[in-house]
Amino acid sequence: MKTGKGLRGVAVALVGALALTACGGGGNDAGDGGPAKLRMSVWSANEAHLKLFNEIADEYRKSHPNVESITFDPLPFENYTTTLTTQIAGGNAPDLAWVFENSAPDFVSSGALAPLDETLKKTEGYAYDDLSPATTKLWQDGGKLYAYPFSNSPFGVFVNTDMLRKAGQRTPAELIASGQWNWENALAVAGATAAKSGKAGLVIRDFDYKGWDNLSTFFTGWGAQAWSEDGKSCGFGSPEMVAAMTALHKGIFTDKALPGPGTTADFFAGDAAMTVTQISRASLLKEDGFGWDLVPLPAGPKGNYAVLGQAGIGVMKKSPYADEAADFLAFFTNPTNSAKLAQFFPPPRQSLLTAETLGKTNPKLKPEQLQKVVVDGITNGVVKPSHSGQAELSQQVRAGLDPLWQPNADVKAVLDGVCAKIQPLLAK
Amino acid sequence: MSRDLSPRTKLVLYGVLMVLAIPFVFPTWWMVTSSLKPVADIFSFPPQLWPTDPRLEAYQRVFELQPFGRQYLNSVYIALVVTVGTLAVAALAGYAFARIRFRGQNVLFLVVLAGLLIPSEVTIVPLFQMFFKLGLIDTHWPLVLVPIFGAPSVLATFIMRQFFIALPGELEEAARVDGLGRFATFWKIALPLSRPALGAVAIFTFLHSWNLYLEPIVFLSSPEKFTLPQALTQFVDAYGGPMWNVQLAAASMTALPVLAVFVIAQKQFVEGLAHTGLKG
Amino acid sequence: MSATDTRTGPVATTGPAPGRPRRPWWTGRRRDQLVGYLFVTPQLLGSVVFVILPLVLVVWYSLHEWNVLAGTFDYVGGDNYAQLAEDTNLGGVLKATGLFSVGLVVFNLALALLLAVLLNQKLRGSIVFRTLFFSPVVVSLVAWTIVWGFLLQDNGGINGLLDTIGVDGPNWLRGENTAMLSVVVVQVFKNVGLNMVLFLAALQGVPGELYEAAEVDGASRMRQFWRITVPLISPTIMLTSIITVVGSLQVFAQIAVLTQGGPGTSTTVLVYYLYQQAFQFHHFGYGATLSIVLFAIVLALTVLQWQMRKRWVFHES
Repeated sequence: MKTGKGLRGVAVALVGALALTACGGGGNDAGDGGPAKLRMSVWSANEAHLKLFNEIADEYRKSHPNVESITFDPLPFENYTTTLTTQIAGGNAPDLAWVFENSAPDFVSSGALAPLDETLKKTEGYAYDDLSPATTKLWQDGGKLYAYPFSNSPFGVFVNTDMLRKAGQRTPAELIASGQWNWENALAVAGATAAKSGKAGLVIRDFDYKGWDNLSTFFTGWGAQAWSEDGKSCGFGSPEMVAAMTALHKGIFTDKALPGPGTTADFFAGDAAMTVTQISRASLLKEDGFGWDLVPLPAGPKGNYAVLGQAGIGVMKKSPYADEAADFLAFFTNPTNSAKLAQFFPPPRQSLLTAETLGKTNPKLKPEQLQKVVVDGITNGVVKPSHSGQAELSQQVRAGLDPLWQPNADVKAVLDGVCAKIQPLLAK
Repeated sequence: MSRDLSPRTKLVLYGVLMVLAIPFVFPTWWMVTSSLKPVADIFSFPPQLWPTDPRLEAYQRVFELQPFGRQYLNSVYIALVVTVGTLAVAALAGYAFARIRFRGQNVLFLVVLAGLLIPSEVTIVPLFQMFFKLGLIDTHWPLVLVPIFGAPSVLATFIMRQFFIALPGELEEAARVDGLGRFATFWKIALPLSRPALGAVAIFTFLHSWNLYLEPIVFLSSPEKFTLPQALTQFVDAYGGPMWNVQLAAASMTALPVLAVFVIAQKQFVEGLAHTGLKG
Repeated sequence: MSATDTRTGPVATTGPAPGRPRRPWWTGRRRDQLVGYLFVTPQLLGSVVFVILPLVLVVWYSLHEWNVLAGTFDYVGGDNYAQLAEDTNLGGVLKATGLFSVGLVVFNLALALLLAVLLNQKLRGSIVFRTLFFSPVVVSLVAWTIVWGFLLQDNGGINGLLDTIGVDGPNWLRGENTAMLSVVVVQVFKNVGLNMVLFLAALQGVPGELYEAAEVDGASRMRQFWRITVPLISPTIMLTSIITVVGSLQVFAQIAVLTQGGPGTSTTVLVYYLYQQAFQFHHFGYGATLSIVLFAIVLALTVLQWQMRKRWVFHES
């Protein structure tokens, strides 16, 4: 076959085309000076959310003619970080972006975000000191704030009181009253209810034997940590973690207090007695459904504790309108607008973290529930584990924990195996 | 294989087909019926085969929450343009690769075939960079150009080539004796004969464009430009959780019309072969 | 048969210089070649711009350490390729990829051919069944996968069904082997309709007289199938097998929804792994390197199938 010519022709065409695209370099569209067009990537396509965001944006533009437009780009929740990364890689980064807590260290430490404290502090009426230090910790690096933690959702336990009563069990409220609301009793109640009702006992929502970071709502009670504070050493092999995971394993396979792997039960459809989840899920409860209660996480051997999920908004450093974007963010999250956003996203502002303010926008929850779970949770909570390179770590931990979800697993050996897998990554 | 069967064989055949059909039908059935259920009933166990309290509310919400009509139109017109474009490109190339001898044919075919071998996850970043430099982000151009000329049309070319190869040479010989040129032979003889292949390609191509997911979410950002698979991801509640009944209603509306078109078109293209002169 | 007969080309008579016995330069054959090039030009240009060029860029990326978030893009030469040898996950990933592809191709083609043969019988209502078997193709992939995930749970519909006949079903998506089996089966049911349609079209092109003749010779149905049907539809078998092999190496969303590559890494196929590396772990350079590996594998398999076609594809021998 005489292929020489054909091949050479193809090669020439390729080189030419490559040269064409190689020119031009990266860089973002539009230059400085002209009116700014701001774009914020968000993962909520919810109409109520977007309506509120647009109202705030419209108000801002009235007083800021230098900003021509502000758009909110809803990306699919499932593929949020991927899509955002692709846009950044392709040179089309947004000006502002929502960031999940699990990718916070990646975004904060990579230098992709612009520091915000200066702009926020100098903005009139912003009351920067009002931000609860517990909520900003994750989003700081070297004393600078790189993203505003607009959403702080603590974990609590939703209880199907009807199901518990039917099974003749004491409700968490009664256990709290007698000072006995701890994991031992919680699992006992869940196991007994599951056995009597034929439904599931306690469900750690979104865990499903894959999303292991949701287990921090459990092992934090034992004083265990996925990794050390400085992120350098693995915590899975610690005696605390072994104790916590042994208790969990027993709860799943011996007491059947938690549904086993591969079994899903939806609390909000009435299929489970209790569920550990973020309080924002209260909206899933039906008006005419079962009787329910919301209580704080049970105490662990190390006493009471709270766990928190977060989301932040950052300004992309490479944006040609980084200054305008930061200024808009300061407006978006000032005390007035924070109060408006509080109806969907529990705010980081101490002044707004009262049962009274939150009650106005969360009509399904009682003041006492809000105080105990939300206000105390945000003030004292530990944020779910996160680390730079989280996705890779998380994947390794998930794969490493898989052998644990067998009835006769050797807990200590499995956990040591997890550490062997992730220690090289942590040490990086 | 169209011989008459005994009633007994027929009965067995029906039984086998019915059992085989269950795993194909049940998920779709569940999707459609669940779109009529209130959210809490969707994941109830054991699954409800029929909604106890059917309601069309979710279908109404689909149109309230998103410019769904507009998005539907986007998907339809993009898929049609892609299908017509692909048919043109692929019929020409497939015919040439199968029936014309030219130098470097095999190498060129392998170059084209490479397009079939690359998953879109691999090329999405460079493609994004290219279209970004051309200023075509958040337009429908990438969703039209890439399928017509890139990987998806390669499959079409491949299918066309395989069909044209099986075409009896005598027909073309006769055309040439009648004084028809190459293009006329292609246009008047080969193309009409390849109707079933074109039908198959049209269905493949349309569905591919219709179900495209990764490309729209990467290239498009304005809701009124979204396509359907992308729109499906947008029906979420205040906490990012999917609104299942609304999503499933939208998914049902996405699937059922295409299914209807298939029912109408399939006779044409599957059975068309019997009348093409290929027999004997 | 497609070679052009130069004598009949109308242009052929206009060219020859008088007195010389030389064949004309502008022959019908040459004209035909030109038409050939013209016909393939749109496809070829498209391939170069939208396939080959991006692929070259991917090769370029694979020579770099690219941290998208930090905005760094540093030339590292063959480091990413050297990392392939050190990657302890890669062996398992390749094994999972092989298992998945072989399982998918065998099951898909066998089922597609079976369905096509069944539906090609003279049977009332075969159009209804044809539509039913095809219907998953048009259902949204996400909806399809979610329903199956639901059915495959430990307490799901499949095990409920098995329970009624006294079988204690496994925990499908949580066991290493059953997880792989489940992913394969879910994928086959989703897409087997496409191959079925192609086979049906091919079967209807097989002349009935051949079977009648075979019947007269006393050949059994099985023998007729292997000696008449299979050879005659061999171009379609070739086509579907290439499409399916290639497609099997690109399956991604189903795995993301059903198993996320688990349990352990038992269902982490190569395309899912490269997606993880590039988009989730932000190792774009290494992800690009894995893309090249994937491409090389697919290319090798396709060339192999292509070379083998002369052996078993009836029309090309």
